[in-house]
Amino acid sequence: MTTLFALLLHVYPRRFRARFGREIADQAADDCARALDGGWCRGCWCIVATSADLIRSGLSERVRPTWHGGGGGDARLDEEVGMMMGSWIRDFRHATRSLARSPGFTAAAVATLALALGANAGIFGVVDAVLLRPLPYADADRLVHIAASAPGADFPDEFGVSREFFHQYGDNATQLESLATYNWFTATARAGDRVERLNQSQPSLSLFATLGAEPVLGRLPEPGEGDRVALISHGLWTTWFGGDPGVLGQSHFFIDGPKEIIAVMGPDFRFPAAAVDAWIPVEFTEAVTTPGRFGMNLVGRMTPEADHASLARELDVLADRLPELYGGNAAYAEIIERHVPVVGSLRAELLGEVRGPLWILMGAVLLVLMIAAANVASLFTVRAEGRGRDLAVRRAIGAGRGDLIRSQLAEALVVAGGAGVGAVGLAWIILPAFKRSAPDALPRVADVGLSAGTIGFVLVASLAAALACGLAPAVRSSRADLDRLRDGTRGSTRRTHWGRDALVVGQTALALVLLVGSGLLLRSFQELRSVDPGYDTSGILSFQFAPELEHLVDGPSWARFHQDFMARLRELPGVEGVGFVENMPLDEGLLGVGLVTEESAAADAEMGTRASATFAGGDYFRAMGIEVLEGRAFTDDDAVIPGNVIVSRTVADLLWPGENAVGKRLRTTVLQDWHTVIGVVEDIRQYDFRDDAEPVVYLPPVGPRPDSWALPSPGYVVRSERGAGLVPDVRELVRDVAPNAPMYRVYTMEELVSRSMTQLSFTMLTLAIAAVLALLLGAIGLYGVLSYVVNERRQEIGVRMALGAEAARVRRMVVGQGAKVLAVGMSLGLGAALLATRALSSMLYGISRFDAWTFVGMSLMLTVVGLLASYVPARRASQVDPVQSMRGG
Amino acid sequence: MTQPPEESGLSGIEYHVLLATANGALHGYAIRDAVEDESEGAIAPRAGSLYRVIARLVGAGLLRETDAPESEGPHPGRPRRYYGLTPEGRRTLADEARRLEGTAALALERLGARP
Repeated sequence: MTTLFALLLHVYPRRFRARFGREIADQAADDCARALDGGWCRGCWCIVATSADLIRSGLSERVRPTWHGGGGGDARLDEEVGMMMGSWIRDFRHATRSLARSPGFTAAAVATLALALGANAGIFGVVDAVLLRPLPYADADRLVHIAASAPGADFPDEFGVSREFFHQYGDNATQLESLATYNWFTATARAGDRVERLNQSQPSLSLFATLGAEPVLGRLPEPGEGDRVALISHGLWTTWFGGDPGVLGQSHFFIDGPKEIIAVMGPDFRFPAAAVDAWIPVEFTEAVTTPGRFGMNLVGRMTPEADHASLARELDVLADRLPELYGGNAAYAEIIERHVPVVGSLRAELLGEVRGPLWILMGAVLLVLMIAAANVASLFTVRAEGRGRDLAVRRAIGAGRGDLIRSQLAEALVVAGGAGVGAVGLAWIILPAFKRSAPDALPRVADVGLSAGTIGFVLVASLAAALACGLAPAVRSSRADLDRLRDGTRGSTRRTHWGRDALVVGQTALALVLLVGSGLLLRSFQELRSVDPGYDTSGILSFQFAPELEHLVDGPSWARFHQDFMARLRELPGVEGVGFVENMPLDEGLLGVGLVTEESAAADAEMGTRASATFAGGDYFRAMGIEVLEGRAFTDDDAVIPGNVIVSRTVADLLWPGENAVGKRLRTTVLQDWHTVIGVVEDIRQYDFRDDAEPVVYLPPVGPRPDSWALPSPGYVVRSERGAGLVPDVRELVRDVAPNAPMYRVYTMEELVSRSMTQLSFTMLTLAIAAVLALLLGAIGLYGVLSYVVNERRQEIGVRMALGAEAARVRRMVVGQGAKVLAVGMSLGLGAALLATRALSSMLYGISRFDAWTFVGMSLMLTVVGLLASYVPARRASQVDPVQSMRGG
Repeated sequence: MTQPPEESGLSGIEYHVLLATANGALHGYAIRDAVEDESEGAIAPRAGSLYRVIARLVGAGLLRETDAPESEGPHPGRPRRYYGLTPEGRRTLADEARRLEGTAALALERLGARP
């Protein structure tokens, strides 16, 4: 508040400010503090009123100074500034009065600009919070994301490193101050009665020091505490522990056992994602026995002198020595041979895929602003022409061109200023709604709000809009000369038509770009919705709960518990099938494993064939509608007898191409026990409909030994037409089986599907709104120009009609003029769209960015709207009464 | 653009500021409160406007900055500036008060409100 007032004091002349500034600021701040005590509303009003008073009296002081005493500053400069401001103030006052006299014009101009500026403010608010603000860590620009690439090898373009890289880099890189690993996944957490699967992370002990993050409560972990302590998020602290500081020192279950809570992190610590609620730091004490277990994320803090390229060069040299230091097989040596380190900014890595869509939306709303500014410019041009005589008179009696430009520009500034205020109000309404509907995956969305940066952006954008729509008409009309007075017409020249036609051409082109863009996304969305994911997307309910019962200690006891529970679920009315799976499709990703078969060559056996694994039981495949292609699904026996496994079609094709997989044996690189394939099922899309189907191995609920694995909280899958209507019955049942275990992650398949598409649907919807806005504004622009032309040519049209021209012909003439402008605009727009849709290509699915249907369809739509906009003025033209028009002019 | 201080006649708010300081020097905050009280809420200038009035009165030699009166205890925070009447200010206030008294009496007489 004090800063605001101190800033506003600069409106006063320097002399006055030097003498009274401090007193004024103190008193203003005191006043408002007192008002704030009397209530939030009163306080805000006081701030607004005091600010307005400062501006008003500051300006008055410049124009009519009361203080001539000392206090420093250049008196002459102050006087000149005062005079200049004086004339601006007169102009503003005049502009306000003259705008008030034409409320229709003012409302149209302000509303058009406010709408477009509001959309800009809203999107900028998001871009600012998500993309522009630095990460909340000290010297965040020195934080880097480090990964690996191996051009030419059968590996993704970029992949996580393995542990020996971490040791080698961390111990030897001179350009790194600190290095840490991190990951995140869903795992069980339990505190008292609360049991849930939370997003948790197992970073290296060095993570917090690397980021430079400090807890708000407690302390950072120390060497020797790896895997024994937990740091929890501010959110978890408030929701689970009621913000009780006594939580420090308590021991609760995280991931795989009890950990002592030693710290609560601040509300802005969201690493690597906002969803993560607990960090269980680990230490890597045992030696690396098998190099090449890739997939580890690294974050490093560079020394102040280092840059990305020089660090990458150093890491390259260090990585080359890995086979020499850690051994490994020939395949590993070959990967290291090809290896090129990847060093990038941590921010870019954490923001991931959202950058593209957000910049596209920002670009889209800027286009809308340009269209809106063109409309308002066209309104101003008409207004300036209407005042041609008036301006010529002012010129004749001695007003300079500068005066005329300033007085007209003042109107544009007043309009844009009003629109800017409206835009901030609009953003204030839009942003919370935007936050609610934004995809969960949008990082830092919690920071989105009406920030000072956003208001500053609106200010700049309003000023730019004012200049864009006010300057050209002002300059042109300031050329008003005395000829205007003599011939007595309202005289417009061909040139001004040209200007306005060019505006409409530009608007049409921009609108077409936006229409095509949103059309492409709409078609992608349709395509994506029609993808067959390999399972049914309706009539399925999934949920989890994690009972804590004493007899549930190992794989077999949990498996029996699930069998009994599913037997009761099956008895509920309307239930057609029940099963469970460790990682619910569209809710969680899968675990990566290496697969080895009896036929695998010894060299391959060490790394295995890369695939994903999960655990399934009960009637999972039938409940999900996943087709069994060969062999059979799991039966009740498989829940208690280990050794059988089911594979997806891709796994069968990868491991035993052209053969029947049923009866073959496989194992993972981690476990030595062999499993027999009893069935092959259809591929599914696990996490995203856009991803190709992953090769998946479905392991049974019990492992080779009782402690091999246990499934304490799998996702139950219930097939029933009742869908969400089943929830109360299920809840009742859960309460009966495990009174203290709450149900969570309760979803219908429809919810999971729509959630998995939020990013696309959200971008599509926002872009569609921008496109419709552009279409409407473009149509209004065309309508405005043609109406003006018709109005201007009333006499001529009257003459034509008096001479026998038919109404239809007159209509054709006007519509034809609109069509000409439209055609030019559309051909430019099509060219621009062909280029601009490149930005969208990463978001498209199932269609090309040159999709002919979209281009044709959207052009047609624009043509129809454009012709309609031309027809209304055309109709008016054809209703011109010849006598009336020739008499009245 | 510079204007000489007005020869005669005080604006309402100027009159009230002089009136507020007639009992002894006050700081800006107290002047504001006194003006609001004594005008029965009709005049409640915000900081920016108030100090323009003070500046004008100081410039015209009617007010001057003085030391804090004895009665004021030490004030926490930054020292405040106090403003008190100059002899010229005292005379102007008295003239204005007499003028107001005269016109008020005339008004009441014309309205027939005086017995």
